[in-house]
Order: sequence, then C-alpha cells, then structure tokens
Amino acid sequence: MAQDKLKIGVYELTGCAGDALLIVDCEEELVPIFTAADIEVFLMAKSDNRHGDLDLALVEGSVSTEKEKEELLDIRRRSKIVVAFGNCACVGGIQAAFLDKKNWEKNLKKVYGNHDFSHSQPVQSKPIDAFVKVDYYLPGCPVGKEQFLSTFNRLLRGNPPELYRFPVCIECKWQENDCLLNKDILCLGPLTLGGCGSVCPDHNIPCFGCWGPTEEANLTSEYRLLLNKGFDVAAIKNRMANYSGTRIAEFFETFRKEKR
Amino acid sequence: MRILKLQKKDFFPFLEVISKKAELWAPVAKQGGPPAETLPDPHWASLAKREKFSFERIQDFSKIAMNTTRTIIPPKKIMVPASFNMFHFDEKEYREDLSHVTNRILFGVHPCDIHGLLILDKLFSQAYSDPYYLEARKKTIILGLSCWPDEFCFCKSTHTDIIEEGYDLFFTNLESHFLVWIGSSRGDDLIRLAPDYFDERLTEKDIKTYINWQEERDNAFQTEINFTRLPDLMELKYKAPFWEEAGAACLACGSCSMVCPTCNCYNVVDKQFLGNRPGQRLRYWDSCTLTEYSEVAGGENFRGHKSQRLRLWYTHKLRAYVSKYGKPSCVGCGRCLVTCPVQIHAKSVADALEGHPVDAFWKKFAEEVSK
Amino acid sequence: MNGQHKCLADSNPFTPEPARIIRSYHLTADVKFFQVRFIDVERALSFQYKAGQFAMVSILGAGEAPFCLSSTPSRPGLLEFCIRKMGTVTNALFRLPENALIGLRGPYGNGFPVEEMTGKDILIIMGGMGVAPLRSVLLYCLDNRDWFGRVVLLYGAKRPAEMIFREEFFSLKTRTDLECHLTVDADDTGQWPERTGVVTTLFPSLKKVDPENTYALVCGPPVMYKFVIKELIKLNIPKNQILMTLERRMKCGIGKCGHCAIDYIYTCLDGPVFTYWDVLHMKELI
Repeated sequence: MAQDKLKIGVYELTGCAGDALLIVDCEEELVPIFTAADIEVFLMAKSDNRHGDLDLALVEGSVSTEKEKEELLDIRRRSKIVVAFGNCACVGGIQAAFLDKKNWEKNLKKVYGNHDFSHSQPVQSKPIDAFVKVDYYLPGCPVGKEQFLSTFNRLLRGNPPELYRFPVCIECKWQENDCLLNKDILCLGPLTLGGCGSVCPDHNIPCFGCWGPTEEANLTSEYRLLLNKGFDVAAIKNRMANYSGTRIAEFFETFRKEKR
Repeated sequence: MRILKLQKKDFFPFLEVISKKAELWAPVAKQGGPPAETLPDPHWASLAKREKFSFERIQDFSKIAMNTTRTIIPPKKIMVPASFNMFHFDEKEYREDLSHVTNRILFGVHPCDIHGLLILDKLFSQAYSDPYYLEARKKTIILGLSCWPDEFCFCKSTHTDIIEEGYDLFFTNLESHFLVWIGSSRGDDLIRLAPDYFDERLTEKDIKTYINWQEERDNAFQTEINFTRLPDLMELKYKAPFWEEAGAACLACGSCSMVCPTCNCYNVVDKQFLGNRPGQRLRYWDSCTLTEYSEVAGGENFRGHKSQRLRLWYTHKLRAYVSKYGKPSCVGCGRCLVTCPVQIHAKSVADALEGHPVDAFWKKFAEEVSK
Repeated sequence: MNGQHKCLADSNPFTPEPARIIRSYHLTADVKFFQVRFIDVERALSFQYKAGQFAMVSILGAGEAPFCLSSTPSRPGLLEFCIRKMGTVTNALFRLPENALIGLRGPYGNGFPVEEMTGKDILIIMGGMGVAPLRSVLLYCLDNRDWFGRVVLLYGAKRPAEMIFREEFFSLKTRTDLECHLTVDADDTGQWPERTGVVTTLFPSLKKVDPENTYALVCGPPVMYKFVIKELIKLNIPKNQILMTLERRMKCGIGKCGHCAIDYIYTCLDGPVFTYWDVLHMKELI
C-alpha cells in the first residue's frame, strides 16, 4: 500500500449539503476515513482548510453562480481526480430542471424581481460536467453510504470505483417487492439508478428518481406507459423532472418539438 | 414410487415434527398495494387484486399460503441469494464463504419451480460444479405442493405441470386429504419421523378423486404456447422487426431475469473496507437485458441495443437449452407475464414469433411511436 | 469447440490460487508483459494447458478478469501474459511491482486444436493485441517444429512503437524454417525496415498456399476479421480450418455467470477459439 496519504477535498456548490453531511454521518467509519486520508478541505467538518493540490476532490452541488463556476474550474486545476458527488453535481438536481433558458430567466425575475446581484451573478444551474471533466459520478440524493464507502476505499487504493449501473428495479426485485408500476402507481424505478437498496419501494412508496436517470433510461417508453395508465402529462412531467436535471429537460424539449 | 395418504388435520402436526430438523420455509402472503378498484387499467387491476406471495421462514404454520399461485421470486433465491459473499480475502488468500448455506426444508414448491431447479442443476453443474449453488441445493429438502393454474400459467405447454423427480416429498392437495409422493430416500426418512400420520392403503375412491382432480386441473389452463416450433422460429425470425419494437419499449429494468426461475446469470464485484477487515468478493444476480451485461474493458459493447439483449434472453429460454437438453428452459410459471411492466414476456414474444396478433403494451407503443 | 473440462468434486473452482509476478516490463506504452508462477511448486508444474486457453487473474481489491496465456505449454512452470491497460483490473495489475502476489485460476476454454493441426501448414495472422493468444501457438509450433509443415506469421501493428514483442519477432526473421512478415499501418519514425500497410497487404507476397493442408489462425481487432477472412476464403482455405479467438466479458470463466454467452454457447467453455464455420453458423460471434 502507498505510504503517502491521499489528499482529499470535499467541496459544496449549490445544493443542500446533504452529501457532505452523509460523510459526517458515517459515524463508525469517520475516524478511519480521517486516518486513511488527509482531508485537506471539508468546510462542514473542519476549520483549518488548505486549498492546495489534491489527489481527490468530491464536489457536491450544481453550478448556479459565476463564482461557483470559477471555484469549480480552480478545483479541477488542483485535483487529480474529480468526483461528482450526489445528484446535483451529477445531473444538476432539482434546480436544473428548467426546460430552457428563457424559462429560467422568467423564473429568476419572478422570484428576485430586479434584484442587483452584487455578490455573484446567477447562471442557469447545471451539473458540474457542463464545465469540467468529471472522472467518476457518485449519484444519489444523498449519495448512498454503502456506495460512498466502497468508492472511497477503491480510490484510496488506487482502483477505479465499480459503481452500480443498473436501475432501482433490480434491487427492488432482490427485495421481492411487488412491482408498483404494475399496480398503476407512478414509480420511476426503471429509469432510476440503483444502489439505494430500493428503500422507497420497500416501504410501498414509489421511486421518485432521486439517484438520477440510468445511462439507458427509456424515458419515452415509461412516459407512454404512464399515459396509457391514465396519468396526465403534467403529473408525469413533474415527477420525472424532479431529479433528472438537464437530461429530462432535453427529453421534454424533443417531445415539444415533435408535437409541433 | 410410494404414494401415501395424509389427512388434512395431520398436516400441521407433521410439519411440527419435521421442522425440528431444519428451518422451514414456505410461501406466505405479502402485504401492500392500493385497492384494485382504484386502478384504471383492467389488466393491471386484475393483477393487483391477487395476493402476492414470497418464500419466507415459517414460525407460525397458519401463515403458510396453501393455495397460492407463483411467488414473486422463485425458490432459486434459497440456493443462490440475490447478493452474497463468495470469498473473504486479504493479501494472503481467498477464503471461501458458504455462510448462506443452511439446512432448510422448503415447502410449497410447485411443479414448475421444481423443474426450474432441475434446469438450474444442469446449468450450475455442467462442465464445472458451482459449490455455492450445489451445497445449498444439497442441504435444502424440497417438499412440493400441487397448485391450480391461473390465466397466466402455461406449464402444460412446457410439460412442467407434473413432476417426477427433483423433490423429496410431493403433496397433492385434494379436498379432504393430501396424497404424498415420496421422491427420495431423504423424503422417506421424513415420513419415518411420524409414520402414524400416513396411510399406505389408498381406496378406489381415493384414486378416482385424484384422477378427477387431475383432469379438472388439465382443463383449467387458459394460456397455451406451442413450444415445438419456437426454436426454429427464433432462427427464422432472427431479423424480424418485432425485436426492434420490443427493444424500443423495453425499460431494461431486468425484472424478467430476476423473477425467472431459470435465469442464472450473475455479476461479481470485489469490495474492500477501511482498516484491517478482509475484503469481500460479492456475487449478485445480473440480467442480460442490462446495458453493461456484454460490455468489455475499454467500453466496447457486444450488445449495445436492447433488442439484441432481449433476443439473447429469448434465445436462451426458447432455443439454447433445447439444443443441449432437448427442452426449453422456460417452465411456464408465468412470472414474466405478471412482471414485465411493458408486457414483453414468453406469451407475447411467442405470439410475435408465430405471427399472431400481439396483445401487449410494447406492440401498442410501437404503433403509437410510429404515428 | 468442446474443450476438455475437469471437475474436481471437493474443491471450489472459483478459488484463486496464489501466484507471484516473477518479471514484468512494458512491451509498448500501454501493453505490459508479465511472467507469473504459482507459489506452490507442484501446482506450477501440474498446471497443464493448451495454446489458446485463458486464465482468470485476480488482483486484490480490484477484481478478477480473463486473460489469455501468451506462453507456450511446451515450456511449463512459468506462465506469461501480454496485457493492455484497459479497465479496473488491468490498471491495478499495471501498478503491481515484480514479486507481487496475484490470484490465478484456470486454464479455461477450448484452446487451439493442436492435435488436429499436427502435420499441417500453419498460417498465423494477427493484428495489434491479437498477438496475446497467438504467440502461445506460434512458440508451440516453433518448439515442436518437426510436427508441423510450413509455419507462416503475418503480423500487423498500427505504428512501429506499437508492435508488441517487436524484438522477438525481428529475431525470428533470421530463422529459415519460419516465414515471418511484419507490417505497420503507418510508419511515423521513418526507420521502419519492413512493409507498411494493413495486414492484408501481406497476402500477395505469400508463397503459394496448399489450402486443404493449411490451418489459418486469426486474432486481432474486430475490424480486421472481415478483411482477413475474405483473403483466406480467396485462398480456398476450408472454413473449419480458419480458427479465430474471441474476447468477451467474463465473470467466472467456467460457464456459470452467463456474460460470455453468444447465441446458445458460452465463449468460456466452447471458445474462445472458434472456426469460421462457427461464426457463420452462430450469429453474433463477430
């Protein structure tokens, strides 16, 4: 094993800080985590933060101001590996669910009026890979403890992580749950990345898609299926748009064009 | 083969005796779900109405569901759990972990699922023996139970509606009593634990009752698939456009593989922990309908399209096993019929292969999208 | 097809056995050569395999992956691998120093039908990494030179610097009992003494081939097969004497995990060596 400890930074852009909180929540593993690596930056957990060169940067949140954009570019310059940490960093999160730029500008005006943003100029919220190269994506809202720890472990040892790429349905079936979609409940399991252990369907709550879409998410088929089950467009759109960030925006954009 | 008679009143006492030998597992009803009448689609409403079942460890015999249809997950979960550890490892060695293997009595296994296990036996022992499956299989006593088909069962078409091997005891559930087939020496030992409950003398009337029951059951099947033509049709219709249509609608959720009694594919991932804990080599159920299934290092994917993956799934069920063992590796349990959200299942695919009209969402989807 | 499989009743076929990296060095920028030996001396000597078979290699914590054996069974004791840095396991393997421990199990797969090939002319055509499995059979033929007729080697690499085992093959050129033709797609050095052009451009310079008496062994990148096979068919080499070895995702190597399934066969049990007839017969092979 390498004797030099990995230098790690945990950064929070626009988001709820839930992913950073999850690290702090790894109670039993917390001391081993801080022992195994040099945590250089972690605003939530320590006060003496050193913004130097890093081996690994975990970046939570989406980019929604000019300042964050600069910060992100700076993190990338200083870090060997950048991990998009959580749903907002991976796909943009709830704040990125606007369909187009005009829509976003309208909403900004509606909320803030003619406010003068002297602090930092807001930009339309986007996942971090819109600005920098991302090495690994750790999805989840927040990220799963199990997946975080196994990824952290692999990166510590210099191995690339093996992330779950299958949809929630896989784990849902492992738990032997009765399919909610088949009971005509608006469940996004087939579209959503697994790894959460299908916690919601385990409790008869449909999947809300909080881990973001799988690489092959068949939005068209599920959308049609839900329409066929009698759900109205708005209900489907609201549910799908919640956590899918920019990807769902693109999907509905193509739909809108088709309709015309 | 010995066939004995067991009075219904003696059934629980018999379980009481044998369950001292090993953990008793059997189907129980699962809770949950909305009331069926609130559901708009009559097809799904009819599915939601029926109770769902699952093999669970039994403490209270009254919980055992005697008149069930299929469980959500077949008994393969007892032999190879959905996710388990194969090895503990450290710098020095890989140490085998067989902790999922325990002595179990599995009651309530239907003929189709016993056939499913017989197929898994072949797959997990051909060329090399898989100790994880075979050890658990050896330590699991199979007590079969007769069943009654619903509209999704088609085990008569796959000739898996009756069973002659692969069980230790088989209980045919007649109105007033059980007829109990003894299928193995181990099964016979169970009977010998409580011989007084069993009666070897079957009357003419008992036999008549059984034959009538069998005839009635034979006539109760509502779904039929002609499997003899399907291997040829898989070949002839290799490029048929319906594969694309099914592929376009497929959600790639993998549920069909999870619930199929003969799907045996799995993935392996190594996991390490902080500190000095040994690592684990985890093995979990996989599905050939998932994106990464045929992807090699470097990212090349030999089956990039869902239609190709679906076709592989059906090649394995309808054709591959036939060419090796002379029968399909579909046992007619109907699980894919009740599980696939877009209704890509043995029946609709067989219909498409035969050129029959297909009544399924994926077909409807293809029509909607092409508009 | 149908390699020989042994079934040890009371041992776990999934257990990796400890082995040591005896030597390792770079063959090209992203390809490394590994010499490996089982820790257990008896195992090192009892590990018998056929050219074209593969082994499952475990790297602590990174996982397990299949690699074909590049050494020849005619020189037992040491196993050799020629590996390109591609994914998780190879990345970890590349970082390991000499003398490091790895896990090894095998050999698996059918391998080349060397008994059938005995007495015949052998035409080996390889591109890029295709050298990994074919070096085994080439060395086997050379070690048992009297058992075979003509031995012809055609090897194409992209650039001179990407020619794997370059020195080894150059030294083979001096042998009179081997026809060794090397080519690169493009010469960016200006120093390349051999031919330039894709591997099929070597065919015209071949001395007359006796097709019925020839076994053609092909391995290379997927795009190569189509063109090479066209040439071989032009030479009238029978389809079941054109052998190729294929790559697939594998998690077990012994016909259980399902990943390498093609049509109704498993690459790990029925392959990785297939005939061109198999390819025509079973869709999806290449």
